[in-house]
Amino acid sequence: MQANDGVTAPGMIQEQRARRDARDDRLFGWLLKLCALLVLAALLGAAGATLWGGREAFGHFGLGFLASSAWDPGSDTYGALVPVYGTLVTSAIALLIAVPVSFGVAVYLSEVAPRWLRTPVASAIELLAGIPSIIYGMWGLFVFAPFFADHIKPWLTNYLGDKPDDGKLSWVAAHVPFVGKLFGSDSPFGASVLAAGIVLAVMIIPFISSVMREVFQTVPTRLKESAYALGSSTWEVVWDIVLPYTRSAVIGGIFLGLGRALGETMAVTFVLGNAMQLSPSLLDPGASIASTIANQFSEAAGMQKSALMALAFLLFVVTFIVLLIARLMLRRLAHKEGR
Amino acid sequence: MNDSALAAPPVQAAAATPPKLKVRDLNFYYDGFHALKGISMDVPEKQVTAIIGPSGCGKSTLLRIFNRIYAIYPKLEARGSIELDGENILAPGYSMNRLRSKVGMVFQKPVPFPMTIFENVAYGIRHHERLSRSEMEARVEQALRSAALWDEVKDKLKQNALGLSGGQQQRLCIARAIALRPEVLLLDEPTSALDPIATGRIEQLVEELKHEYTIVIVTHNMQQAARCSDRTAFMYLGELIEFDRTEQIFTKPGKKQTEDYITGRFG
Repeated sequence: MQANDGVTAPGMIQEQRARRDARDDRLFGWLLKLCALLVLAALLGAAGATLWGGREAFGHFGLGFLASSAWDPGSDTYGALVPVYGTLVTSAIALLIAVPVSFGVAVYLSEVAPRWLRTPVASAIELLAGIPSIIYGMWGLFVFAPFFADHIKPWLTNYLGDKPDDGKLSWVAAHVPFVGKLFGSDSPFGASVLAAGIVLAVMIIPFISSVMREVFQTVPTRLKESAYALGSSTWEVVWDIVLPYTRSAVIGGIFLGLGRALGETMAVTFVLGNAMQLSPSLLDPGASIASTIANQFSEAAGMQKSALMALAFLLFVVTFIVLLIARLMLRRLAHKEGR
Repeated sequence: MNDSALAAPPVQAAAATPPKLKVRDLNFYYDGFHALKGISMDVPEKQVTAIIGPSGCGKSTLLRIFNRIYAIYPKLEARGSIELDGENILAPGYSMNRLRSKVGMVFQKPVPFPMTIFENVAYGIRHHERLSRSEMEARVEQALRSAALWDEVKDKLKQNALGLSGGQQQRLCIARAIALRPEVLLLDEPTSALDPIATGRIEQLVEELKHEYTIVIVTHNMQQAARCSDRTAFMYLGELIEFDRTEQIFTKPGKKQTEDYITGRFG
């Protein structure tokens, strides 16, 4: 408490107050700036550290590091092609499965489901999103991969692949290009690129669908009613009105899921098979950037360690490019709408 | 609930024109709540029928039954009959597509779809008809002209409709509704979100459109009802209190409640 309360002229008090407010606001501004800079520093630091750590590999192999599929600690030659390819393909498969399913879940919950069912199912989805990925990995390894090996894979190799058990090519494998290669495999195990993609899809469905559900609920009732009043069916209202209205948020949600899929480590490590081979087949085991690092980091030294660091840096770059593409897509869409 | 006790005897306007919509003993329930009680009325063809009454009297609810838009929500139920050209639209077999191509609706707040001006108008047509590009362009132009909007938007048909002013957006919504060539046009407080000038244009438009369409307009604005309608229905607490020629309602109302409402004693 100040002793001169009541003695100071009102003008003085106001002036003091104004000075104090200005000082507080300045302090507050600095504090906020510090928080924001911290995030930026963490990002640049992580990118810089991995780049620095990988300098030996980048320096030694040059651009060939990106194009080479070799990964041989024996002769100390390393290339990033297999893990980069594995990362992109598993994530693409995951999106291919997760986006339509999430869309269905979100539309059902926001437009079709009876009211009493909405909240419990939505909460269940949010719980699913919170399950640690190691649990998905264990489920993938102990439950899904054996099931996949026993029931799904034989069907795919025999009816679509170019290496069927009985040696007789199916019509599809013989006539449709690429399909035979994609599903041909003589590996007996369930662990494969496709299995990893499916487990990833299961992991990211909760993320994408809860974002979609939330933004679908922001569509004004009157907008939907106007479309119904013109005779639209529920499907048309969702496809023509709800989706365009929420497009940027929906794309944001999809890329959030994709970001997770690209960097996911444990679930993928368990079901991908971790084979450093470049195979066109989705049923052969493969490797991803994150799984390669997780598998080899503890015993790596020298050039191998540097190559792993370089891989980590590449994961940064891949994620960055994906986000960039998302931004560009949104901008082009906005342009097309005439905004 | 005792329907027979609540059901008023049919309140009908002494209509010289043939009725377009024949409402008979219509009751509406909202999750068990009895929202409309024994409504019977004849909506005359190619005239403007206004529905007035205090908030919560059921006037919008009644309007929303005429195109069965309420049916997209669960737990809502309409009983009774509404005949459109002699067919009961509340019958389970009545095609929703057919109903909505015959009965268009414009809502309280302008709600353009998130697409271009052209697409906003073409959207509904596409659902019901296959047209060539030039036919579609002609239809869209015609609809925009009827809605007195063509001159203002003809150079920016490819722009997003959200860039239009509120009054323009509402006229676009009217264009969108009449593009389907409906027979009945439902207007649910179409000017409540607009300024006086934009309101005047919409009222003028209603005057022009009534030569081709049967119009039902819900409004909380009594002057509006008096200005642009031929018939006026007064509703109170889910009941149709009085339905007559507009000048009759506003000069010599038959019921005490109607008189109290239009003279501003309640509501």
